[in-house]
Amino acid sequence: MPVLKADMVETLVKTGASCRADAKVAPRFRCGERIVVRNINPLHHTRLPRYVRGKRGTVERDRGVFVFPDTNAHGQGHKAQHVYSVRFTGRELWGPQASERDILYLDLWDDYMDPV
Amino acid sequence: MNGAHDLGGMHGLGSIDAEPNEPVFHEEWERRMFGLFIATFAGGHFNVDEFRHAIERMDPAHYLESPYYEHWLHSCETLLVESGAISRKELDARVAKLEKEAK
Amino acid sequence: MVHPRHNAPLSDTALRVKALESLLVEKGLVDPQALDALIDTYENKVGPHNGARVVARAWTDPAYKRRLLEDATSAIAELGYTGIQGEDMVVVENTPEVHNMVVCTLCSCYPWPTLGLPPNWYKSAPYRSRAVIDPRGVLSEFGIAVPDTAEVRVWDSNAELRYFVLPMRPEGTEEMNENELAGLVTRDSMIGTGLPKTGAAGASAKADTQRRRK
Repeated sequence: MPVLKADMVETLVKTGASCRADAKVAPRFRCGERIVVRNINPLHHTRLPRYVRGKRGTVERDRGVFVFPDTNAHGQGHKAQHVYSVRFTGRELWGPQASERDILYLDLWDDYMDPV
Repeated sequence: MNGAHDLGGMHGLGSIDAEPNEPVFHEEWERRMFGLFIATFAGGHFNVDEFRHAIERMDPAHYLESPYYEHWLHSCETLLVESGAISRKELDARVAKLEKEAK
Repeated sequence: MVHPRHNAPLSDTALRVKALESLLVEKGLVDPQALDALIDTYENKVGPHNGARVVARAWTDPAYKRRLLEDATSAIAELGYTGIQGEDMVVVENTPEVHNMVVCTLCSCYPWPTLGLPPNWYKSAPYRSRAVIDPRGVLSEFGIAVPDTAEVRVWDSNAELRYFVLPMRPEGTEEMNENELAGLVTRDSMIGTGLPKTGAAGASAKADTQRRRK
């Protein structure tokens, strides 16, 4: 395994390690589309918080293709797919107690959503 | 997994105590742990998703009560032992040795 | 209450970190001088002064601001702030109608190249749990009163995009240059839990600069 040396640090710091994937994958969703978040409760790693599962939102922007953490955390490969900024209202997430003008954005992978 | 790390919307976790002029690191061990994580990540011992999942696998009470960089310690220890880079036995032995030397 | 034990004695934790480092060094898996260089970089070099320069540029150069809002990664790279935990950036703009706030409910994701390493409160359970469900309450605790008519947008950094907020330029700063403007931009204003220092603070800083030049 490579060992990081002091003279490699500056390059490493400036380059980083993007999780974007090169794969040519078609998006499942269009901007402006209404979605419902899947109600998944896996024992494995996921970046889908509980508070948004089963909730309805609007796809606002396609951020491109990224490695999928749910598989990548378990040696099951990249399963590269699109990630979108998805908009939810506070009322949809938390009920009538939320302010009418509270909005939440999450970045959701294709596999986290279904069309409405 | 539906672990204790998935905190969005939970109640009762206390006040947001923002420390004025907070230093980047509070303790020397935090500094070293920060460096160790980056170095072992850069060395290819694990990826960032594995790293996060190992934190999520912490005992929930320990997760909530421990200082932040202790999460990183737990994760790196777990992953390096699971990959065979180090063994739990030699880690424990080294801790014991350092404990003895500190007395 | 859940509060981390910052004041634990030379503890178990400190010993374990020492043990881990010494084992890894012994096995040739880690180079301690690389650790020193990493620590120095993030303790002393990288920090919110970087993001402040991006903000000041956006305040003074409308074309740059457009680029920043459209493709933050490239725009920020123009100023050289690239790298670890900033590979894929999004900048969101505060306006009189919209106030933005950034959180990572699942862990501590934060844009290191522009803001440095996150403060403890950002990484801790109280902020992570409340920011998404009671953003206006959290903002008011930070001293920010958002009018009911304004929208509050919370960005939960659950994927690999990293976010910071482009705060509104304070009034009365028309005479300030980019350096002086950067001096008004606080770290918290780029997380969304603060506002930039006011023009008054800036005017006094500018007067100091002018006095020193004489």
